[in-house]
Amino acid sequence: MQVMPFWGCMIPLKYPQMESAVRISLKNLGIELIDEPQFSCCPDPIYFKAGEKIKWYTLAARNISLAEERELDIITLCSGCTATLCEVNHHLKHNEKLRDEINKNLKTIGREYRGTINVRHLVTLLRDDIGLEKIAKSITNPLHDLKVAIHYGCHLLKPSEIMGVEDPINPVILARLIEVVGAIPVNHHEYLMCCGKACNEADLTLNMSHSVFDSVDKSDADCLGLICPTCFDSFDVGQLRVSRSFNKQYQIPVIYYFQLLAMAQGASVEEVGLHFHKIMTDDFIKKLQVQQAVA
Amino acid sequence: MKKINYEFREKLNQVLGGFSHNYCYQCGACVADCPTHRFLPEFNPRTIILKVLYGFEEELIGPNSLIWNCTNCYNCYERCPQEVQPIEVIIALKNMSRERGTNPETINNIIDRVRQKGVTVATTDLIKRRRQEMKLPEHKISCLDELEKLFEAMNTK
Repeated sequence: MQVMPFWGCMIPLKYPQMESAVRISLKNLGIELIDEPQFSCCPDPIYFKAGEKIKWYTLAARNISLAEERELDIITLCSGCTATLCEVNHHLKHNEKLRDEINKNLKTIGREYRGTINVRHLVTLLRDDIGLEKIAKSITNPLHDLKVAIHYGCHLLKPSEIMGVEDPINPVILARLIEVVGAIPVNHHEYLMCCGKACNEADLTLNMSHSVFDSVDKSDADCLGLICPTCFDSFDVGQLRVSRSFNKQYQIPVIYYFQLLAMAQGASVEEVGLHFHKIMTDDFIKKLQVQQAVA
Repeated sequence: MKKINYEFREKLNQVLGGFSHNYCYQCGACVADCPTHRFLPEFNPRTIILKVLYGFEEELIGPNSLIWNCTNCYNCYERCPQEVQPIEVIIALKNMSRERGTNPETINNIIDRVRQKGVTVATTDLIKRRRQEMKLPEHKISCLDELEKLFEAMNTK
């Protein structure tokens, strides 16, 4: 199977360990990645969209048109890219007037949006196209007894009529994917909370992230598992800020799901770059390595 | 006394995503699940739409408007029985604020950075080294000529 990954900005240029984990785990599943160097920023669904909506549509449509030329679906690895590209693709497929307006812009660079491909986050490719059974067969070092607190983030699931992943009030996709690597998913109290990254006032971001740390801390989870580099930003380096502001000493390792998957397929802690994380504990590494040694 | 300003609503109706405010019947379903409201009670998606219905332009798109504290979680979009999509109305208001020049500087910076660099995150030597260490392919950006042409064309329209 060939897919076109949309790496975005934060994964390749801030958290390349996430890119490494995705490349390792997809190779183990026999999936070939076709990289497109002409992609730009998605562009970002918060600031860029709030500033210049028509430019936002146009740049996103340009990205989608590149995948259309290759007749490949776009697979996103970041929830922000997922939000922009899914939303733009949805509206341009359904709104002819808007599509014509955007195509007039694209014509100046000789491109056209046609509406011939789909965009989705990698977790839905795993669930729907590859299937949990095939993933289970790729697992050589199951992460038994590792308790992973789930954080969905906002933009994988909502708006549900556009994203079409599942019911955003009672999602299970990440729980199933965590189970398949042998770990135990933990639905803590605030597992559907927003990381708060988009708020203008820093206090709000800190308060929202704090509510998540407090909730994970009260559960018996070993780490927080997620699928979005922006949430990761709020929870890894952000954890230091929250601890300072609330006079706490949080030490909750934050893991991008595909790091767990790659490790369960035999990759080392270094190969998935856990040593680059701001919050990482010896206990957590030891627990992972014990799993690998037992396997 | 504040006056109802229909002209403002007419302008908002023309902004992509702005029209659906007309469907709001002020039930407040959007409020209960709003994470910003939980930590900043004066931010209230129902009252934001009410101000839109009255046309209170200054409060909504003047300097330091509360709308910039929306966390973009889409809970209000999910909850609304009238398909008002309050978040999309708020984003349409942000678009109007940017037209007036009352938006936070971050917005301008992000748009300029995408135009100039193609991405929002700077490429640092540290990250280049990390990518090499992890045996990742070199990160290439080959879209700048096209982006410049697009921005030129869109700005002169």
